[in-house]
Amino acid sequence: MKFISFIGAFLLALSLSASAQGNLEIDSPAIGALQRSMQQRHTQLAPLYTSGAVGLAADGTVALRDASLVPLPQRGPVAALIAAENADRGALYREIARANGHPEWEADVRKTFAQRWADRAQAGWWVQKDGSWVKK
Amino acid sequence: MSPSLRNVLLAGLVLAASACVTINIYFPAAAAEKAADRIIEEVWQLREGANAPAQPAAEGSKP
Amino acid sequence: MVLFALPLGQPLVASGLGALSLAIDRVEHPAFAVRDLKIQFPPGGSASVGMGRLRIGEHQWRNLQLVCARGSLDAAVLRCEQGRLRVAGAASPLRIDFRLDLSDRSGELTVLARDGARVQVRLLPNGAVEADVRRFDLATLKTWLPALEAWSVLGRFDGKLSWQPERSVTLSGRLDGAGFGSSDGLRAAEQLVVDVGVEALWRAGGWDWSASSMWREGAAYLHPFYIEAGPQLVARGRLQGNGLDIVEASIRLEGVEQLAASATVDTANGLVERAAVALAGADLAVVGPRWLSPVLAPAATERLQFAGHVSGALEFAQGRLLALDAVFDQAGFSLRGADGGTGVAFGPLSGHVPWRESGATRAELSVGGGRWQKLALGAFEFAADIEGERVQAERIRIPLLDGAVVVDGLVLNRGEGGWRGSASLVIEPLSMRLLTDAVGLPSMSGVLSASMPGVRVSPGEVALDGALVISVFDGYLQATGLRLQEPFGVASHLVADIEARHIDLAQLTDTFSFGNISGFVDADVRGLELARWRPERFDARVVSSAGRYPRRISQRAVQNISALGGPGAVAAIQRSLLGFFDTFGYREIGFGCALRSGVCVMSGIDDGTTEGGFVIVRGGGIPALDVIGYNRRVDWRELIERLQRVIAGNVAPEVR
Repeated sequence: MKFISFIGAFLLALSLSASAQGNLEIDSPAIGALQRSMQQRHTQLAPLYTSGAVGLAADGTVALRDASLVPLPQRGPVAALIAAENADRGALYREIARANGHPEWEADVRKTFAQRWADRAQAGWWVQKDGSWVKK
Repeated sequence: MSPSLRNVLLAGLVLAASACVTINIYFPAAAAEKAADRIIEEVWQLREGANAPAQPAAEGSKP
Repeated sequence: MVLFALPLGQPLVASGLGALSLAIDRVEHPAFAVRDLKIQFPPGGSASVGMGRLRIGEHQWRNLQLVCARGSLDAAVLRCEQGRLRVAGAASPLRIDFRLDLSDRSGELTVLARDGARVQVRLLPNGAVEADVRRFDLATLKTWLPALEAWSVLGRFDGKLSWQPERSVTLSGRLDGAGFGSSDGLRAAEQLVVDVGVEALWRAGGWDWSASSMWREGAAYLHPFYIEAGPQLVARGRLQGNGLDIVEASIRLEGVEQLAASATVDTANGLVERAAVALAGADLAVVGPRWLSPVLAPAATERLQFAGHVSGALEFAQGRLLALDAVFDQAGFSLRGADGGTGVAFGPLSGHVPWRESGATRAELSVGGGRWQKLALGAFEFAADIEGERVQAERIRIPLLDGAVVVDGLVLNRGEGGWRGSASLVIEPLSMRLLTDAVGLPSMSGVLSASMPGVRVSPGEVALDGALVISVFDGYLQATGLRLQEPFGVASHLVADIEARHIDLAQLTDTFSFGNISGFVDADVRGLELARWRPERFDARVVSSAGRYPRRISQRAVQNISALGGPGAVAAIQRSLLGFFDTFGYREIGFGCALRSGVCVMSGIDDGTTEGGFVIVRGGGIPALDVIGYNRRVDWRELIERLQRVIAGNVAPEVR
């Protein structure tokens, strides 16, 4: 009985601490602008994820995994697309850290995103794990 | 001291300790994950998309 | 060619009955070697040539068998017709015919592949070899050059080769439908048609060569560059052992007057040990988007534009850049804003930018002018010391309107993630009249100046610590904590705290044709965020300044304030009274607006309000009048539209 109440208290404490942690602020205008920009770009990136030309890198960026899957004249534009996406992603991580008053969280935000991009990638997309590319 | 009072004190102690933990400047990993998921869903249009992955955020596996 | 070397070998041994058979232990030649050569002429006119082992260069084949439908050894002439080659017992797709005159070492050899490729070789008595190649499949080259294995070379070659051993080689022909690709696709070419010509003379243990090529069709991607057919090359150099020296190569490239290069290549591993490139008169409008944008600003290639000319030189060693010199002539650069705005531009600029891998250099540019958003920048000189990835400039003074922007002690370091650095910035007084005219705002008098000793540049942020002060409307407006965030991206925005003191409402309302209010206000805008010069978020509070001064508000102004609130939003005005008076007295004005997500949450002088409204203007004197707002949540865009409508409707001064 004592044990059970202890567990109860412990769980309560855990849930409280989790709720007290609350949400991260992601509703700033800048984050919104980045989100829209990335959402628009996604229609171009999605087929590249599917073909395997572009993969989700371990550092929260996207990377040109295998350019040979892209028609030759498109390789330059695809490289530019990736650079633009990574510029937005870098800005997004900085902005989230900034919007929460902790610019020094940037690296942590980046790490969290890297993990979640990979976790939520569709089956067939390529993600980078421990330095090598894995097909989900 | 009655066992129930002891439990209440214990619970209070744990709560106090956890309250201390929450008033910190450590990176809120769980909240960040939730925020990341919200943005990823938006960017990848996962919510209404038919090809959304079957499993949502893996909340069950978190402590 | 194998049999050409036959006389070099050991004596022939004839044996057998009715059939002639030759056997030779080994044939050695610098280029190849044969072991266990057996030539047999069975009765019936056929022939077979067997080789236990054939080595050509680094390659070795075992158990080769050439079966000739008809073969003969007549006097000193060895003949093979319709020969079929078998390698290690397996049929190869090659058909071989040859005729060799062993007496004068002359002859002909034709190799025909099933895909139509044909190599015709003529051996001349003087030792020269001439070959005529038709539809030669380049994919087979990888058998000979293992370095090509990873490049999936394809295409065909048609041409002529003539070789005088130890004297000269000439090769001319055309590559057609050619291509290659590295496994990651970062270096590839497709559908190439290239004319090539090479001449080489043997001298002192090496080849002095000259070559020319013309790229007629196709395209290549050499990450991050996409190059289309057109370039022409003329080069000369020397090949000795594994060392390939390109003494001089001149390349004709669209948009470049002259392009020359030299290099030393180790052919054993394909490494460029040293290279130098010099170019003159490159048209930046052509060269910039193709060769500069992909390197300098891959994320903004669409937005970056070039003009003018550049000349320069590059030096590499072991794949590293050692030195760079760029000389700009009337060059221009412009970067459009990510939001579609006009962005920033500089030019025409001329000058010299040198860089060395080790050691300091000094860059000097004279810039004819520029543009930032709607503001024209004047001519200025830019001088900077460059060392490695560090740039340092003492003073840059950029004229702006009747003042100037002065940057002192600029230090920038390129590191992981981008540029970091610091500077101090001063804006020498600018007339507000010129500034407002230039950016299309209603004309205001006053002066803008700034002193920001703590400018810090980091990836994604330029922080301007210090203050920007505008003296205007008899008071001043001071911006502190200025931050330019994500300056080059879609999320570009400006953050600041604004403090305004003693702003004369009479001048302000007159400037914006908003009726007439006399008196002064103080304003505080905290956490102002501007994106594309439009406020996205702030906490603003405006209150009447302390002190004694006339406080009157015109009927027009009251009506305008009412109109801002929308139909019925601002009420409690006794309309019956309005007709009788032009102006009303007031005790104080005060309101706040917290802008979040496009909605301004309004508040009044204090929150102790009547009937759920909030007092914006509290009346005083005779006649007195309160202005009370009831709508606490106002759509910001709507508010601005109403404000513009009110201002537009009041352009003509009100005469009563």
